[in-house]
Amino acid sequence: MRLSAKLLIYNLLAKGLILLIFISAAPFVLKYFAVKNTDNQLREKRDEVISIIVEDGMEKFISSENPEIGFGSYNILKEEYILLELWEQGLKVDTIFVEDRILERETVTYRVYSNTFEYGGDTYILEIGRSLETIKAIERIIYNILIGTLVIFLALTFFLDTAFTEKILQPFKKIINQKISQINEPQQFSYQLIKTNTEEFKLLDNAISDMMRRIQKAFNQERIFISHASHELKTPISVLQSKVEALFSREEIGDLEMEKLLDMQMTIQQMKKTVNALLLISKVNNAQYIKTETVQINLLIEELLEEWEDYADDKEIVLALEKNDPFSFESSNESLCRMMIQNAFINALKYTPKGGKISVISTSTNSHHQVIIKDTGPGISDDLLEQVKDGIVFLKDAEKDKSGFGLQIMFKVALYLDVMVDIKSSTDGTAITFTCPIQQD
Amino acid sequence: MRVLLVEDENSLGKEIKKFLEGESFLCDWATSFAEASEDIAINPYDFILLDLGLPDGDGLDLMEEIQENQKESSIIILTARSEINDKVEGLERGADDYLSKPFSLLELKARMQAISRRKGGWNSNSLEIGNFHLDLNAKTIQFENQDIPLTAKEYKLLHFMSINKGRVLNRFQLAEHLWGDHLDDDHQSNYIDVHIKNIRKKLGEFAPTDWLQTVRGLGYKIQK
Repeated sequence: MRLSAKLLIYNLLAKGLILLIFISAAPFVLKYFAVKNTDNQLREKRDEVISIIVEDGMEKFISSENPEIGFGSYNILKEEYILLELWEQGLKVDTIFVEDRILERETVTYRVYSNTFEYGGDTYILEIGRSLETIKAIERIIYNILIGTLVIFLALTFFLDTAFTEKILQPFKKIINQKISQINEPQQFSYQLIKTNTEEFKLLDNAISDMMRRIQKAFNQERIFISHASHELKTPISVLQSKVEALFSREEIGDLEMEKLLDMQMTIQQMKKTVNALLLISKVNNAQYIKTETVQINLLIEELLEEWEDYADDKEIVLALEKNDPFSFESSNESLCRMMIQNAFINALKYTPKGGKISVISTSTNSHHQVIIKDTGPGISDDLLEQVKDGIVFLKDAEKDKSGFGLQIMFKVALYLDVMVDIKSSTDGTAITFTCPIQQD
Repeated sequence: MRVLLVEDENSLGKEIKKFLEGESFLCDWATSFAEASEDIAINPYDFILLDLGLPDGDGLDLMEEIQENQKESSIIILTARSEINDKVEGLERGADDYLSKPFSLLELKARMQAISRRKGGWNSNSLEIGNFHLDLNAKTIQFENQDIPLTAKEYKLLHFMSINKGRVLNRFQLAEHLWGDHLDDDHQSNYIDVHIKNIRKKLGEFAPTDWLQTVRGLGYKIQK
C-alpha cells in the first residue's frame, strides 16, 4: 500500500474514532447538561414564584377562605406547570425528580422541582415542572448540529489531508520513480537531485545517489575484470585452436593422429563454449548489452522452426506452430532474444523422444506477449530447475555429458530483457513460457 | 592479396600468418602498435587484421591512420576483449567485420572472402561444385539453370565447405560456422549430419553428389 494512502487512512481512522467516541458520548453529555440547566431554571422559577408571593401575598394563589384548595397552572402547550399547596405533612421537601403525568389522555414526562417553604406561619409546597419533551427536542437539535459540523469537518480535513499529503510526498514519489523503480541498470541512473525542501527526502536522495555511485563503480570494476579475464582466457584458446586447425589440415597426418586431434578439438570446443557462456552470463549480469533494438518475435519463431525443421523430422518429432501473433518486442536485443528462445527450443528438441511433439504458441494480449514452448519430453526435475533458477549451481547433465549453461543463460537473459520465465515440468513434458511486456504509448 | 596482421601474441600470430600464406596471401606481421603504424604508413594492404589489445596501445587508435593511409583496405578486428562498446566503436570507426577470439582460421578466411566479394575485389561471384553452380550473390544453388531449394543453413554450410574445397572440415568447425559459440548443445555437431543428409538428398535428385565426402570419424569435405 502506498505511503500517502496509509497516511490518509490513518488520519481518517483517527478522526473517525474520535468522532465515534464523541457521537457515542454526546447524548449522555448533552442530557447531563440539559438536565442540569433545566434544574437551574426550575430553581430560578421557584425563586421568582416565592418573590411574587412575598410581593403580592399568598392570596393571589391560594384563597384564605379555602386554603385546602391549592393553586395549579399549566401553560398552553403543557410544557410547564406550577402547583402550590398547603403542606400539612410537616416533612421538609427540596427535591428534583422525574414524573409522568396524564393530561388529556396523554402521558407527559416532567422534570419536577418540589420544594416546601414557610409563609405566614404555614408550610406550603411548591412544585414546578418542565416537560422533558422540550429538553429532548433541544438535545436532538444540538446533537444534529454537532454531528453535521463534525461530518463536514471530517470531509474537509480528508480533502485537505489528501491534498497536503500528495503535495509533501511529491518529491518522495519522484525519488522512488525516477531513482529506484525506473532504474533497471546503473547506467540509467541520473544524479540530478530532486527538488525538495524536506530534509529527510534530501537525505534519502543523496543516500540513493551515493549507493548508486558505489554500484556503478563495482559494475565498472567488474566490466574491466570481465574484459581482462576474457582476454586472458580467450587468447590461449585461440592459439590452441589455430595450432590444431593447422595440424588438422595437413594431409600427411595419419588416422590415429587425426583422431587425437579431433579429441583435442572437441576439448577446445568445450573450453570455448564454457568460457563464452561464463562471459556471456557475466556480461548480461553486468548489463553490457544494448537494449535498443526492436525484435520481431513472430519472424524469429518462424526462422527458428525453419532452421530446426529438418532436425526434428530426422528425430521424427512433430513441430507445431499453433499460434504466432505478430509482435514487435521493443527496447530489446535481437541476439539475446534469439538466444533465449532458441535455448528453450533446443532444450525441447534435445529431450523430446522420437515420435514426440513440440508445440510453439505465441500470443498477444493488451499488456503482454507470451511465447510458450511445450514438449513431450521426460521433464526437468524440480531440484535441478531450482538450482538453475537460483543461478548458484551450474547444472551438469552427467548422463548426457552436457553442460547446463543453456537454461542458465536463458534465465539470465530473460531477467535482463524484463521477460518473465515460467517453467512447468512433469513426467509428461515441459512447458516454458516467456512473458514479454508490451510498452504502452 | 596483401594482408597486414597486427597481433602481439606470438604463437597465434605465427599460426595465422602461416595459414594465410598457405591460402596464397602475402602476409606482413606487426606485433606492436608502433610496428603496425609504420607498416600502415609504408605499404598498401588489401586486408588489415587488427588485434585491439596491443602492448603499446589500443588497436582502435590505429583506425584513423588506416583510414588515412589505406583507403582501399578492408579491416577485420580480431579481439579477445568482450566489451560490446569495442565492437560498436570498431565498426563505427570503419572496420568491415569483427571476429571474437577464439576463432577458427577457416572462419577468418570465409569472412575475408565475404568482404572481398562485397567490395568487388573477388574474381568470381560463383563457385562450381560438381555439376552444380553456387551463386554467391543470390545465395542460391542451381543445376543447369534450375534453382534447387536449400534452407538458409544448408546453403551456408555448402558455401563454407565450397570455399574450403579439399579440406576436411569436422563437425565442430561446421557447427561453429552455422551457429556461433553460444548454442547450448555439446552435441550440436550431430545436427550437421542431418543438414548434410538433406543437402545430399536435395542435390542427389539432379546429379550425383559423390564430391561431398564423409571422412569417417572426422567430418566432411568437398573434393577438389
